[in-house]
Amino acid sequence: MTSLLAAQLLNGLAIGMIYALTAFGLSIIKGLLNVPNFAHGAFYALGAYVCYGAMQAGLSFAPALCAAFLVPALAGAAVERLGVARLMSGPYLYQLLFLFGTALVLEQVIILVWGTVGLSAAAPDWLQGAFDLGFTYLPKYLVFNGVMAALTIAAVWLLIERTRLGSQIRAGIDKREMAQCLGIDVRRLVTAGFALGAGLAGLSGGLVLPLLGASTTMGSDMLSIAFVVLVIGGLGSLYGALAAGVLVGIVQSVSSVFVPSASTVLIYVAMVATIMIRPQGLFGER
Amino acid sequence: MIRDKKIDRRTILKAGVAALGSSLSGLSWAAQDDILNLGIISQQTGTFAYAGEIVYKGAQLALEERDGKVLGKKINLLARDDEGKPAVGVRRVTEAIASDNMRFFLGNFSSAVGLAELEVARQERVLQYAAGGSEDFTGARCSPYTFQWSAHPYTALRATLDYVHKTLPDKKKIYTITADYAFGQSLLHYTQVVAKELGMELAGNDNHPSGERQFTQYFTKALSTRPDIILLLTAGADAVTAVRQFNSFGVKTVSLVGPWTLEVEQMRELSPAMLSGMILGLNYYQDIDTPVNKSFVERYLKANKSMPSYAAAYGYDSTRTLLLAMEKAKSVEVEAVIKTLEGMQFDSIFGPTRIDPRTHQTIRPYYVVQCKKPDAMKNEFDMATIVAHSDEQQPPALNECKRPA
Repeated sequence: MTSLLAAQLLNGLAIGMIYALTAFGLSIIKGLLNVPNFAHGAFYALGAYVCYGAMQAGLSFAPALCAAFLVPALAGAAVERLGVARLMSGPYLYQLLFLFGTALVLEQVIILVWGTVGLSAAAPDWLQGAFDLGFTYLPKYLVFNGVMAALTIAAVWLLIERTRLGSQIRAGIDKREMAQCLGIDVRRLVTAGFALGAGLAGLSGGLVLPLLGASTTMGSDMLSIAFVVLVIGGLGSLYGALAAGVLVGIVQSVSSVFVPSASTVLIYVAMVATIMIRPQGLFGER
Repeated sequence: MIRDKKIDRRTILKAGVAALGSSLSGLSWAAQDDILNLGIISQQTGTFAYAGEIVYKGAQLALEERDGKVLGKKINLLARDDEGKPAVGVRRVTEAIASDNMRFFLGNFSSAVGLAELEVARQERVLQYAAGGSEDFTGARCSPYTFQWSAHPYTALRATLDYVHKTLPDKKKIYTITADYAFGQSLLHYTQVVAKELGMELAGNDNHPSGERQFTQYFTKALSTRPDIILLLTAGADAVTAVRQFNSFGVKTVSLVGPWTLEVEQMRELSPAMLSGMILGLNYYQDIDTPVNKSFVERYLKANKSMPSYAAAYGYDSTRTLLLAMEKAKSVEVEAVIKTLEGMQFDSIFGPTRIDPRTHQTIRPYYVVQCKKPDAMKNEFDMATIVAHSDEQQPPALNECKRPA
């Protein structure tokens, strides 16, 4: 039993890192714009499809992953510049609707380019197979996934906490008007932040491609999980999503030992419990 | 009093609408005499959006064989979208009966939708030619108005596990991962029955919710019991995801077997390397060596530039069988066609086929295939080889159909 729990913890940790990475992007965008990015799932799906497309075109996995970050990031920048930014002065609902519409458009574009049939791509040879831990097997790719997500999060953390751009982003999130008064170009900052968030979603999509494949419904599947993670972590907290993502992964994985058929429901139960007991989320301040 | 008798504008309008309505319905009744509406109530939107169109394409080929006519009547295919939802399916069937006098229909091969439609068919006395993996169609909920095209889950499990037992005699310990709805539970029940018959051991089972996208935790748990075989009792997108994730474990000592798991459409979603060597049970595979199937495959390929699948074969074969029965009965009345279908022996895409007069189960083989290695595939459609087939029927003692023999 102990070894099984240990195995599920490892598995949950690896899955949770991906949730954390996706929700982290959502958290950055939420922080900068104060709008829940309903198109986040679509950027995630776009990342998976771009990664697939790049591999089909003959690129190896590493550059394909870069493309999975870059293309959604560019698309995100365009969506922000051409749509969200122009709606800034209007009611909050307009931005929400625009992002919702963007998600539908992106989904249809994906269908037009790649069709409705799901697609698969195999991980590179060196990532195939599993580590035999004696008490269980741990797929190498799952470990790679977790490590990549952790490294990316660390890099973004460094960017936000240790660079000039990062301090400007933090300023933009905390006190937008004050940042503007200090001569920070908040407009460009928001575009950059949106691109970063969308890029992280895309990178997650690329990372999960060998595990989950690419399918037209993957965006909405992930969007609901990402929101659950965001709410549990706390809507006002930039890093709450990280801990909450890992937590959700572990809850999902460990619960499969005891009540497997409820593992999906449980993460929503966790969200409702968080809202009722601690409405600001585990790490939220507001 | 006087005011009451006065005919106002509203009354005239009402009368006009009523008159128009009755003349219209008269028109549609008149048209019924030389047109036979055959319903294809299937999915055109949602996750299995492809299915509706493919069932339709299959049915169309059955029509073309007889220039779209039966007993001098023109056959009209009514395509209706049930969105893969039981409530919508029921509504579409009811509407088509009321507005188009539909008396015969093919349903959705999702058991949940098909079983909901079964009740409408029973109530409205129209004939449903169903497909799907639930045993209830010909078991507890068997109905005089419903016929089942798909093999019985017992037949499916028996064919698949028989083959596994014969070719991998050392592999006896099975772990099952099961979809938590009617279809999965049906398969699980018969896995238990057949495993006992064959002396195989069941090491454990996990139910997963429908729409699950994360299976590594189930495999982690399953592998910790050191099974020889993991039997996937799930279907559709869930099954595709599960196979993909099992692959990431790269565990070669455990065989992943799918008795009713991937249809050709889903196999195409996976890369051939992921499927290589996998043993699958199928209701239909293009290579079935019978005259009716060969001609069907040839025409389907020509018309659609693709190989037929379960959905296409269901559309074609059940439509063809219905029309055969009408011709034999010399009638398009539901009761007469039912009487003819019961016990009918005929040549179908499966070769000589029979319909059980009591349960309405089509007595036909179930196929076991082994997926080819990528370099052994002649073209993109050549994904597997039929290695066994069996039409071993459910033991009568296990059948819950209450209809008299």
